[in-house]
Amino acid sequence: MEDMLQFILDRGRELGAGYVEARHHRVEASEVMLKSGTPEASASSQSTGIGMRVLVDGAMAFGASNRNDRRSLEAVLARMVRSARGASERRTDPIEFADANLGIASYEIRPRVKFTDVEVADRQALLMEADRSAVEAIEGTGVKLPGRYMSLETEVTHKTVWTSDGARVRSTVPRASMFAVLTAAGPSGSTQRMISLGEARGWECVERWDLPSTLAKEASTLAAILEQGKPFHGGYMDVVLGPEVVGLIAHESSGHPGEADRVLGREAAQAGETYLGKNDGGRRVGSDLVNVVEDPTLPYSFGFYLFDDEGVAARPRNLIRDGVIEEFLHNRETARTFGVASNGSARSMAFDREPIVRMSNTFVEPGDHGLDEMLEDVKDGVYVRNFMEWNIDDRRFNQR
Amino acid sequence: MRAEDAARAALDRAIGGGVTDAVVTVSRVRETMVRFSDNQVTVVNELDLEQGSVFVTIGARKAAVDIPDLRARSIRAAVDAALSLARSASEGDARVPLPSGPFDYDPLLLDQGKVDGLDAVDLAHVAISSALEEGASRVAGSMTVRDADTILLTSGGVDARVRKPFLEMSVRAFAATDASGHGLSVSGSPAVLDPAGAGARAGRLASLSMEPIHVDAGEYDVVLDTMAFADVASQLGRMASAFMVDAGMSFLGDKLGQQVASDMVTIMDDPTLVGTPGSTPCDMEGLPSRRNVIVDDGVLHTLLHNSTTAARHGTESTANAGLVAPHPFNLVIGNGDQDMDSLLSQVDRGIYITNDWYLRYQNYATGDFSAIPRDAMFLVEDGAITCPVKEMRMSDNILGMLQRVEGLTREREWVRWWEVDTPTLTPAALVRGLHMSRSTM
Repeated sequence: MEDMLQFILDRGRELGAGYVEARHHRVEASEVMLKSGTPEASASSQSTGIGMRVLVDGAMAFGASNRNDRRSLEAVLARMVRSARGASERRTDPIEFADANLGIASYEIRPRVKFTDVEVADRQALLMEADRSAVEAIEGTGVKLPGRYMSLETEVTHKTVWTSDGARVRSTVPRASMFAVLTAAGPSGSTQRMISLGEARGWECVERWDLPSTLAKEASTLAAILEQGKPFHGGYMDVVLGPEVVGLIAHESSGHPGEADRVLGREAAQAGETYLGKNDGGRRVGSDLVNVVEDPTLPYSFGFYLFDDEGVAARPRNLIRDGVIEEFLHNRETARTFGVASNGSARSMAFDREPIVRMSNTFVEPGDHGLDEMLEDVKDGVYVRNFMEWNIDDRRFNQR
Repeated sequence: MRAEDAARAALDRAIGGGVTDAVVTVSRVRETMVRFSDNQVTVVNELDLEQGSVFVTIGARKAAVDIPDLRARSIRAAVDAALSLARSASEGDARVPLPSGPFDYDPLLLDQGKVDGLDAVDLAHVAISSALEEGASRVAGSMTVRDADTILLTSGGVDARVRKPFLEMSVRAFAATDASGHGLSVSGSPAVLDPAGAGARAGRLASLSMEPIHVDAGEYDVVLDTMAFADVASQLGRMASAFMVDAGMSFLGDKLGQQVASDMVTIMDDPTLVGTPGSTPCDMEGLPSRRNVIVDDGVLHTLLHNSTTAARHGTESTANAGLVAPHPFNLVIGNGDQDMDSLLSQVDRGIYITNDWYLRYQNYATGDFSAIPRDAMFLVEDGAITCPVKEMRMSDNILGMLQRVEGLTREREWVRWWEVDTPTLTPAALVRGLHMSRSTM
């Protein structure tokens, strides 16, 4: 495989590219699903291929193929170089890359319990136990769970990133995640709850999640909402937001707006724009207590990585420090435009997706209050622990 | 391996492995996607992919495995993995045999041609120029050109090969930070692609929406142009999947035979329209595709089924099988007899919404949702557009909203983009009394 990556780097340069990047990317994934207690088809996939990027005369092209023979890859490379050259003729400003701290490294998260050691029947049995546990938890109440959807996915991602200017990074990261939607219904109506969990570990994290207990608690809460919930008057009031909501706000209102490609308008027709401008470093957007951090280096976190998909070393990024915008998320292209160094935010989810600027783990740093202390200060307000509906405007300025 | 040999090898190995049923797909996709922003091309994506999938049942045990490439050893490994998964899986819904073929397919749907000679970079520049000519200052978007060649084999005797192009121009233009418009041209045939028209619409809407004002929250009569109405109306197609109903994630769960929309609203899934974005000769079980009227004059006529969900619901498949869940392919919303001016003329004080995004549910089972208008939006007074407005949120119930449709245009457009997954041919609509909240304080 490394021969192939070297071939791509060499051939890309021969075809006229000033920069060439080659990423061998393999994802081995497995999923089990349960629909209202009944197992759906178990699924597994292995996506393997090579993603490539070239910079030709100031224009960029990405290409990918899973036909891993030299002739096929060379054909895609030639298309890429031709397309980039065509695009470069009408570009007014050439794309350039910032210098970066490129890695020559290999890293891996070793699972304590390998996913391959857990049979599909055991995975399904776990979901079925969780499903039963949720249903049984509210027996005797006037509430039922007419709709339950649960899925449990494991994946191992292997990446090898080589660039023509010297990056040589290999990584292996396992991830487990679960997703569930519970629909509870009773005489007063219905309500729903979405639950998602994820970590970059082996099966041991799934065991720790204790899904039967977790789902039973969630079902009980839904029953209590339907049986004891009171109509709410609405209006302006103090709120205490639980970590799920605060995390969402950090992700959607700080993380996404701070993606430098979005700041430059690259996502305008797809993922949208941002309220932040290129010169908004130093702009106050929150109180002194607000510190939002983006940190891919947290061991075992779902967004974990040590080098991005351009081979740049990752590091924690302070998006908001003491309420003030401190830095954006950059790849090498946006870093050059902003006149800074890349902070290692180029990410790609599959071999056939170009690396773009995206978040990893985004969170608000804790303060010095306990939950009870915050609740004590609220005379007439709401404690919001989680959410269903959520959306945000195009500039990511206001959300609900 | 050649695609047809790979598909046959996979099916033979699955059958030899003792499956009850098997479905194999193998596809070759060649795609160019040009992304542009700030009036110039930012990146060109060139994809050349060969991959597939194998779905097997052993009794009531099911498994689906992707075939990552067409090497003989990859095919063997994928099929063996599927057999192993199915053997060790728990039993699901009672086993239902696959439809028994072979079937006759519409030859025009089997071979819908190829995209030849189109320069996606040029098309992107056509859209950019058109938007700028209409007064935009900044233009972004993407142009996708794809050729797919897919083989479907099943143990039920199905043997189909589908060649199909897909083209999507999505262009967004800005005349100011808060003045934008979006245009689309989506097609299953290069002959009807109109990047200049998409760019011009985006540019024109951007120019018209300069200096928007705030208006109060409240109930408004609204005219939803095609992009916005496609987002709302296509929810019925999505929620008509029996899989969503069985998972408790559909507001159509107990509504068969009931009035779920105004009697003006008819929604079909029609993959039989040759040359349209979501057309296909057959579903993933090999059943010949057909036009299914989901909502007929406002009444929920059918859910969308594969063989398994159909058996569970005591009915027949509607030929909407995906690999796991049934889904719509190509939604068609029935048109009305009015033009846009006529719809607007019926509004005393309301809002004209050209696009929206982030439609999200408070409760899938009831259809309570909100969505955010994006791009040009206008206040309508005494039947005419008076000024652009901004920062509103639609906050209502899908079924309640569709019950209040009181007018549809004659003209329809295909919509598919970031927000709307399933290609949807839709008119614009007049909806009475839509609850709109302010999205800023």
